[in-house]
Amino acid sequence: MPVTAEGSVQTVHVHPRARDYPGSFLDGVIPQEAELTCGTRIEPGKSYGFFTDTTLCIGCKACEVACKEWNALPADQIGFTGMSYDNTGGLSANTWRHVAFIEKRGPTGTRQTDQAAFQSGWLMMSDVCKHCHNAPCLEACPTGALFRTEFDTVVVQQDICNGCGYCVPACPFGVVDLNPLDGKAHKCTLCYDRLKGGLEPACAKACPTDSIQFGEVPVLQARAEARVEQLQQLGVAGAHLYGAPEGEGATGGLGHLNAFFLLTERPETYGLPPAPTRPANRVAPGLLAGLATMAGLAVTALALLGGRR
Amino acid sequence: MQTLEGIVTVVQEGRFLLTTDDGRTQLLVLSYAAAAEPAQLAALQRAQSRVRVACTPAPDQIGWVARRVDLLDAAA
Repeated sequence: MPVTAEGSVQTVHVHPRARDYPGSFLDGVIPQEAELTCGTRIEPGKSYGFFTDTTLCIGCKACEVACKEWNALPADQIGFTGMSYDNTGGLSANTWRHVAFIEKRGPTGTRQTDQAAFQSGWLMMSDVCKHCHNAPCLEACPTGALFRTEFDTVVVQQDICNGCGYCVPACPFGVVDLNPLDGKAHKCTLCYDRLKGGLEPACAKACPTDSIQFGEVPVLQARAEARVEQLQQLGVAGAHLYGAPEGEGATGGLGHLNAFFLLTERPETYGLPPAPTRPANRVAPGLLAGLATMAGLAVTALALLGGRR
Repeated sequence: MQTLEGIVTVVQEGRFLLTTDDGRTQLLVLSYAAAAEPAQLAALQRAQSRVRVACTPAPDQIGWVARRVDLLDAAA
């Protein structure tokens, strides 16, 4: 049991079921292992997602590596990006977790040279598919390859995807991408295969600071609101949620984001859209505008032809 | 075009790991033009069948593009 510097014994929370597995080598997969690693029992019919607290991210990229390892995704964007420690550049067909490194700038647009003690001039955020409540990619898919799973996540079925690419511009966050090598759309599956086996998603399990937290969405939302309140009491006035129900990031009919974020700056700073919308919202106005144009052209043509007679 | 022989050990969607006879593991993506479907890869992995893969390096990636997959034994 760990002992603190003052000599008192510190209590460490261990799930009671963890005592059933004292050895390093196991006969098989632990049933409902997520209960031990993140206190979440994974059951079909419930809504699961990520809460990414950017104030805890240290930019280690363990999430990126864990994602690539589990999903057998190749390293891409080989070369020097010139973007600090960012070597993946952004989300793509082969990069489903992307850690952004953003250097804060002062009011004049240049780098600040003096900072408060223990504060960093860098913002780090692990970006991922948001698994929107009203997912535009799913609405745009003509083949039904994109579907909502029993865990309320959004996944591309590879054997159904025909590579049409309609989902790519439909995503307001620029997440979905086509791989020209296999001709199919790819994005984060929220480790659908791991969830079916009762395992916590690879990125959340690998995160050493719990910046990425996995769990039931209502539980995560309550935890996130408490964290915002705590940060604001500590003097972080800019702390707010991106993707909370009907809040910033979940505008334009998106409802809420199953993968949501705690930010301390404007979303644009992190490369996130401040007011994303569902493209489906623009179908009715677009159709009406088209019909009105057609009617106007018809009236003009009739007037011209009628005038000649 | 290079040829690799070995056993399919891990399959994720259309991507798979091929462990060759000398113990090295290569990551491959099944080409859209290959005469095989991603759904067939899982069966190869389950059967631990020996396969021969004709492949080319994937551009700007650390991996290969599988252009052709041939079954070397009748175990699958």
